[in-house]
Amino acid sequence: MNPAISVQNLKKTFNNTEVFQDFSIDIEQGKITAIFGPNGSGKSTLLNILSGVIKGDENNFRIENFNRFEFSYIFQNYRDSLLPWRTNFENVSFPLEIQNKSKDEIIQKVEELEKLFDFKFDYHKYPHQLSGGQQQILAFMRALITSPKILFIDEPFSALDYENNLRLREHLQTYFLTYKPTVLLITHNIEEAVHLAEKIAVFSQRPTRVLEVIDNPLPYPRTLESHNIDQFHQIKNRVLSIFQKTANL
Amino acid sequence: MKKHTLVGPLSLVLIWAVITKLQLIDKFFLPDPFTTIKKFVEPLINGAIIGDLFSTLERVFFSFAIALILGLPIGLLLGRTKKFYQSIEFVVDFFRSTPATALFPLFLLIFGITDMSKIAVAGFSSMLIIIFNTAYGVMHAKKSRILAAQIMGATKSQIFRWVLFWESLPQTFIGLRSAISLSLVIIVATEMFIGTASGLGRKIIDAQIIYEIPTMYALILLTGVVGYLLNLIFIIAEKRSLHWCEK
Repeated sequence: MNPAISVQNLKKTFNNTEVFQDFSIDIEQGKITAIFGPNGSGKSTLLNILSGVIKGDENNFRIENFNRFEFSYIFQNYRDSLLPWRTNFENVSFPLEIQNKSKDEIIQKVEELEKLFDFKFDYHKYPHQLSGGQQQILAFMRALITSPKILFIDEPFSALDYENNLRLREHLQTYFLTYKPTVLLITHNIEEAVHLAEKIAVFSQRPTRVLEVIDNPLPYPRTLESHNIDQFHQIKNRVLSIFQKTANL
Repeated sequence: MKKHTLVGPLSLVLIWAVITKLQLIDKFFLPDPFTTIKKFVEPLINGAIIGDLFSTLERVFFSFAIALILGLPIGLLLGRTKKFYQSIEFVVDFFRSTPATALFPLFLLIFGITDMSKIAVAGFSSMLIIIFNTAYGVMHAKKSRILAAQIMGATKSQIFRWVLFWESLPQTFIGLRSAISLSLVIIVATEMFIGTASGLGRKIIDAQIIYEIPTMYALILLTGVVGYLLNLIFIIAEKRSLHWCEK
């Protein structure tokens, strides 16, 4: 196994509450790993520590060949992370502007992504003129425009209606299959985790441990039909049974 | 303009007309609206008041320009570094709370009985408002957007130019609007009490001294119109530049 991210004995305490104590996990390169666990088990905290948003008490982790410009993080509150004074185009191209890319390069990148997603925005408009679902797609495009090698996604689909939810899952898979980044995905939805991830890490209550990392060998691209396969249900039930034990359900 | 906008002002004029018609108040102290409006329009047409109007506008313009040129960068800078803001917050707050009129003598002492003293005192007070509002806007910028830019690898200067500046803009505009109104208030007051040959404030006090009461009312009205229009310009500018705001 070749871990892209390796966490060893991570410690993090918030106001005397131990979130992580000797927490360890390895995240495999070029795979989608879903993190599933009870509320307050530090899922977002882990992503925040790994991305440098907050500091662990002891920063015992390693990200292979980490490059800020090849890393993206899609927040849960996407609406608050889009820049409302920029047009949709300027929002998508924002990370490339930060990297001082030329205009031609930016246009080429946006077109490439459009083709991949088979989706076109009215780029002269502003985010507030889009629906919530479209805003989330915009936030996704912005995160993917840099062709990140590592992608963190925190509950990307929670605020979406089912149609947009499925559409975005499809986009994410298309992108993943084309570029094979390492994806760390937090979700509250087991179905979503089994639909997208190759590995599903189930977290315990605080202080958080990894209870089990479940393999999901279902072949990509996974569609709604994949949900009808027996194996899909077996994996889902496996995740659920581990989760039930930790959540005392 | 909305359908009911004119109801208020028209009712006010109507009440005014009724009061003067019934002679509820001595005509000497409250002339009827028609005489007043005549006194308002006449000097605008024959140009007698244009020079004063421009003197006042010129002073307001310069004081606001000084406030803007100094206040905006200082406000942005202060908002950016919390420690810097905290160290200077009391001073800004103190002078912001000090009535500008109390500072007249000081500015007279420094600049003498010139236009500069009027412009300086108005500029100083307006600047504090711009500083305060801009700094506040920067400091209360949404953390999530700054964080997003940081994670994308933005430099401090990029975050400042592309995120913080824009985040602060709505609050900055509130500051600019208050500052232009305050500039006018202070300029008119200084024209009344610091000697000057021209200006609306000077003309108002002159009219009062020689009991040209209809003219006094007309000039008060004119000053009000100027204030309203200045504010309107900023509201329009604000709507254009902040069309993306709070949606």
